[in-house]
Amino acid sequence: MDPVQTEIMKNRFTAIAEEAATVAYRTAHTTFVKQTQDFQVAVARISGEFFAYPMLTGVVSGSGQTIAGLTRHFPDDELEPGDVLISNDPFSTWGLVTHMMDIHLARPIFVDGKLACFAWSFVHASDIGGAVPGSISPDLFECFQEGLRLRPTKLVKAGAVNQDIVNILKDNSRIGDAVWGDLEALMAAMRLLDLRINALCAKVGVEAFHRGVDDVMTHAEMKARRVIGALKDGTYTFADYIEGDDYGAAVHIYCRLTIRGDGAEVDYSGSSPQVHAAFNFATGSRTHPFLCLGLTNYIQTMEPDIPINGGVMRPIKAYAPPGTVMNAEYPAAMGNRFVAVMRCYDALIGCLNQALPDGIAACGAGQAGIISSAWADPASGRNRVAVVEPFSGGSGGRVRADGVDANDTMIGYLKSTPIEHVEVETPLVVRRHELVPSSFGHGRYRGGAAVAIELESRSPEVTITVRGLDRFRFQPWGVFGGTAGGNSVTTLNPETAPARIGRIKVLRLGERDVLQMISSSGGGFGPPVERKPEAVLRDVLDEMLSVEEAEAIYGVVIAGREIDRERTAALRAGIADGPPRFSVQHGPSRRAFEAEWPIEASIALADAALATPPGLRRFIMVKSRAALDDATKPITPAMVADTVKRIASQSR
Amino acid sequence: MLRIGVDIGGTFTDFAIWKDEGDGYVDIGSHKAPTSRPNFADAVKQGVRDLVARYGVAEDSPILVVHGTTVSTNAVIERSEPPIALITTKGFRDILGIARLRLDKPVDLFNRRSIPLVARENVFAITGRILADGSEDIHLDEAELLDAVETAVARGLSTMGVCFLNAHRNPAHERRAVALIRGRFPDVEVMASHEVWPQQSEYERAMLTLLNVYVKRLMQGYLQDIDDFLVETYPNAKLYITKSNGGIMSAAEARELPIHTLLSGPAAGVTAAHTLGRYLGLDRILTFDMGGTSADVSLIDGGRPMITAQAEVGDFPLMMPVTAVEAIGAGGGSIVWLDGGVLKVGPRSAGSLPGPACYGLGGTAPTLSDAYLIANYLSPKGLLGGRVALDRALAEKAFAPIADALGTDVVAAAESAIDVATSNMLAKISPFLARLGVGASDLTLMIFGGAGGVHGPILASEINIGRMVVPRLPSVFCAFGGLVSDLMHDAVRTVQGQPLTEAEIFDIFATLAAEGRDWLKRQSHEGQVKETEFIHLADMRYAAQSFTLSIDLSTVLAARGGLDAMVAAFHAEHARLFGHANPDAPVSIDTLRVRTIGRQAKPGAVALGSAGALPTPLEHRRIRSGGRWLEDVPVYAWRDLSPHWAGAGPAIIQQDLATILVPPGYGARVGALGDLELVKD
Repeated sequence: MDPVQTEIMKNRFTAIAEEAATVAYRTAHTTFVKQTQDFQVAVARISGEFFAYPMLTGVVSGSGQTIAGLTRHFPDDELEPGDVLISNDPFSTWGLVTHMMDIHLARPIFVDGKLACFAWSFVHASDIGGAVPGSISPDLFECFQEGLRLRPTKLVKAGAVNQDIVNILKDNSRIGDAVWGDLEALMAAMRLLDLRINALCAKVGVEAFHRGVDDVMTHAEMKARRVIGALKDGTYTFADYIEGDDYGAAVHIYCRLTIRGDGAEVDYSGSSPQVHAAFNFATGSRTHPFLCLGLTNYIQTMEPDIPINGGVMRPIKAYAPPGTVMNAEYPAAMGNRFVAVMRCYDALIGCLNQALPDGIAACGAGQAGIISSAWADPASGRNRVAVVEPFSGGSGGRVRADGVDANDTMIGYLKSTPIEHVEVETPLVVRRHELVPSSFGHGRYRGGAAVAIELESRSPEVTITVRGLDRFRFQPWGVFGGTAGGNSVTTLNPETAPARIGRIKVLRLGERDVLQMISSSGGGFGPPVERKPEAVLRDVLDEMLSVEEAEAIYGVVIAGREIDRERTAALRAGIADGPPRFSVQHGPSRRAFEAEWPIEASIALADAALATPPGLRRFIMVKSRAALDDATKPITPAMVADTVKRIASQSR
Repeated sequence: MLRIGVDIGGTFTDFAIWKDEGDGYVDIGSHKAPTSRPNFADAVKQGVRDLVARYGVAEDSPILVVHGTTVSTNAVIERSEPPIALITTKGFRDILGIARLRLDKPVDLFNRRSIPLVARENVFAITGRILADGSEDIHLDEAELLDAVETAVARGLSTMGVCFLNAHRNPAHERRAVALIRGRFPDVEVMASHEVWPQQSEYERAMLTLLNVYVKRLMQGYLQDIDDFLVETYPNAKLYITKSNGGIMSAAEARELPIHTLLSGPAAGVTAAHTLGRYLGLDRILTFDMGGTSADVSLIDGGRPMITAQAEVGDFPLMMPVTAVEAIGAGGGSIVWLDGGVLKVGPRSAGSLPGPACYGLGGTAPTLSDAYLIANYLSPKGLLGGRVALDRALAEKAFAPIADALGTDVVAAAESAIDVATSNMLAKISPFLARLGVGASDLTLMIFGGAGGVHGPILASEINIGRMVVPRLPSVFCAFGGLVSDLMHDAVRTVQGQPLTEAEIFDIFATLAAEGRDWLKRQSHEGQVKETEFIHLADMRYAAQSFTLSIDLSTVLAARGGLDAMVAAFHAEHARLFGHANPDAPVSIDTLRVRTIGRQAKPGAVALGSAGALPTPLEHRRIRSGGRWLEDVPVYAWRDLSPHWAGAGPAIIQQDLATILVPPGYGARVGALGDLELVKD
């Protein structure tokens, strides 16, 4: 690494990538891009890893991707200057495309007639056709319901646009012109990248350019290795669940992290087979960033100056068996994949807690709810749709800080909408948008609080849909003696005729109906009796905790507005110290479930099912579960193996 | 009338003086005094005293003092004022705790939202509800309100803000609440959100209200101090305060609404650049203000400074139109360090204390200023004619460990540090310009501030800016900005979701303009406002989207254009900015605003006389450039350069605190107004 040029080239790459992302953002057409910035523009080396990736605009978590899954379909001698490749096919792009709404483009950049690198971009298209507007619904179960799919194809050949492809794209989206407008914005940004890379090569020479690419990636790798090298060697496992496939079964995520020197392996073998619902995703049987976000975020936390590029992935090997939720195969549906990505993150953080002497964090709320509303416009009768608020819940307590209230780390980038805006744009009155006292997991560092929202309809009928909800059944876990966070609870008309309604898919509110949603919340970190009495007092004064809870849970006696030090000391002396080493509190619901279905049994079911033909798996799983429900508990892996074998032989 | 502009900086308090309306820009004087801490007013008062004496002005003659202060800004950033209370609507107690939900750096596992300005225990959520259409849904519970205030007062809180949902639409509950509180608790300082900035968005509006009352007592005390001094010493003196929108207001207004001062410092610099740009006929200016800790840029395009309603102060959003200024990188005090063998500059800064190593104030870390000295850009004899000494040995000592690690000498290490800092700026400025849709080659870079004269030209040659201007008084340029600022008021009305007729829009604009006219009347005396200008703005969007653009409708309204013309103006602006528009799509208006400008007398742009004798360089010294020494580079004192003098780079031009580098490939000349222009060959 050249000590001076590494930093200068990193800055030049950043300048180029940020400028291009800004241009794409500025010229994009759809609201979705403008509001959620669900797009990106970057530059990858010929082998597919990114060396120039924006951090100020667009999706910033994808720098560990590789675009080889798109470009490998076109041998070098088939590429020309001015070409643009396109695909939104999760099944043929090695997990570059993780669901079909993401349309990816790549443009080969030639310097002096020789391929030097690729410009790349993607946009989450607001609609690519399919069963529902927006193409995403949690219930969809095969890709054909989620819209148009294009395998890797040349959209532009040496500067000439293939109009047939454009027509197909436009005709198969509910907002074809706007989607095409976004793609044009991306192509303009990629043209700019081509220009800038060529200008840079003209200035410093193509050799220095390639050396710069090598150096910035080596620098990132070096930093990542430094962080991993500081973790304890060993193999750590952790399991977590997503609630409810189409039969309501818990879908388990099983993660195994191995640290060996300055390298890490992340393996999801034993996790649930893909489900008959839209929360699968594709990772191409390779080291995919979605499989290691817990680790790469940790690296970026410890090394905030790390250059943002694919170098961070070099010390990591990740794997998920084909056919699992996180490496789904044709024809899986994937529109609503984010909860599954979040749960993989949670499971990996669960492993990381064991690889650090003091741990890192408890589990966060673990859902990424987006509340949408639809109603008939009184004047025109036309259906109108508006997003109300994002809805998540607090993050987990951390080794040296409380969790964040009302928002989990993984969707920390989402912005709330002003209530006054919601009330102008929808026929809803927001009665409450507030933190929920005493809702969090307790600990030395407490979990982030739950958030409550209450929506009252002022229209004869408002349809509410919420995607990305979870944690109605299993609580976000606490660690090192911290308690579990709270569950999500949804109630219709809480003050007049309360009715628990559970996970919301589609809900119709009549005039004056009130929907109350209380989110899950973060788990606690460390024993509550070790919490600083001042922090307990702060929560009591802020009415986030009652005096009784302070005493019973935290051993802190509060008199008036002061801590009673003497009685606190006496009380705390009587409470046994929390477990000194790694331990997890999952809460009663998961304990009860695992008493019948230990994780080993779930793993055995997954492994046995994955060994059966893909077309029969779902039926074998359903029948096996039903058969085992009647068996004596707890269920053992041997019982699972026998049952699956028996049912598989009947199914043929 | 003697006019004095005053701007307080970290090290110096700067003064710019316009003695008489007959004098022009070229006659503006300057003065610098050490900033007095913690009583900032002392240096201001002493400076005014010195200048009145120096300019031989009678004590009873009219004197105008225009002051830019960071007293309020510092209090917000440091949160140094006593706790305050918030009164809001029931169900929304965590309006501050939830804020806009978002975390600024979600990948950071220790990321958190900033701590709210008001703790949850001091937020009181009161029964009562106004709906989005302004109708009352639930009565205000007055007993509950007074109970809450009682509790707050008993807790020792004597300052509070009131922000109820939808009060921008119907302030009845807020009006009633503040009337009740003021009646029952006369010692409580209370203001409601509709009195501060009545725009939709409850969290942002609550923050404006709270920030205003948070700094109000402090600013009242500070301004009273200066005002008392002026009134006692100079019976005909008047005090004005610079605003974040680039204008000024009376001291009385500033005491009531100090919120308008929070970003006034950088705004005054941009106003100064705007004025000088007009004198010089420049349409597109990028300002470059580099100080000890950062370099700030702002764009003046089409003769107007860029405005944003998304600025931030400390941890808080500032949802009102202010001059947009962006920090793009390193300052002179930025520390040079090694990160696992890779050379880095900043973001940590040695600030003014201990400062760069070469200042000899105890700093030992190598900084950019040390690099400038080693590269011989700064005079080894020091600044201000030697009054501020610079110690090259200390700079070299600080750089020695870096040089060792790089396996080179201190000179190469220093030059590498400058190159890295330039690339840092490049990484920030490219997307900044891209976002605004301007190309670097169309811009004139206007350079001011302590370290700008060296790094501004280096950055310009890197990003291909062909023309630079250094004002003749670069180190008091912000104080000069106060002198040439106009009285400026912004009025706002949210109209989102209201299907307005053309006539209603005209009515609202007229009401907002009348508000501005009244405001001007309150701020000024007879004859002070030379001309009044109204700028009519609308935040518009495609109905199906929520991304608004601020559209200037002044010309449409002047031409008596109707709704169609307004919508057409939106499509045209959309096309200009983004390259496409959708003329068939319905358009919504969210917000209407009127900016009222009361034009003040300004110094004229009278050219200086013809060229004088050729200057003799103070010395020749070698400077570092492109990895080698350039020998015998002439060093001039700016005061020796007569109008229309022209010379070729490389050269160094020195003026008290400022050092200007003329890079190779650029020529320098003194313009007709005494400013320095650098133009690429």
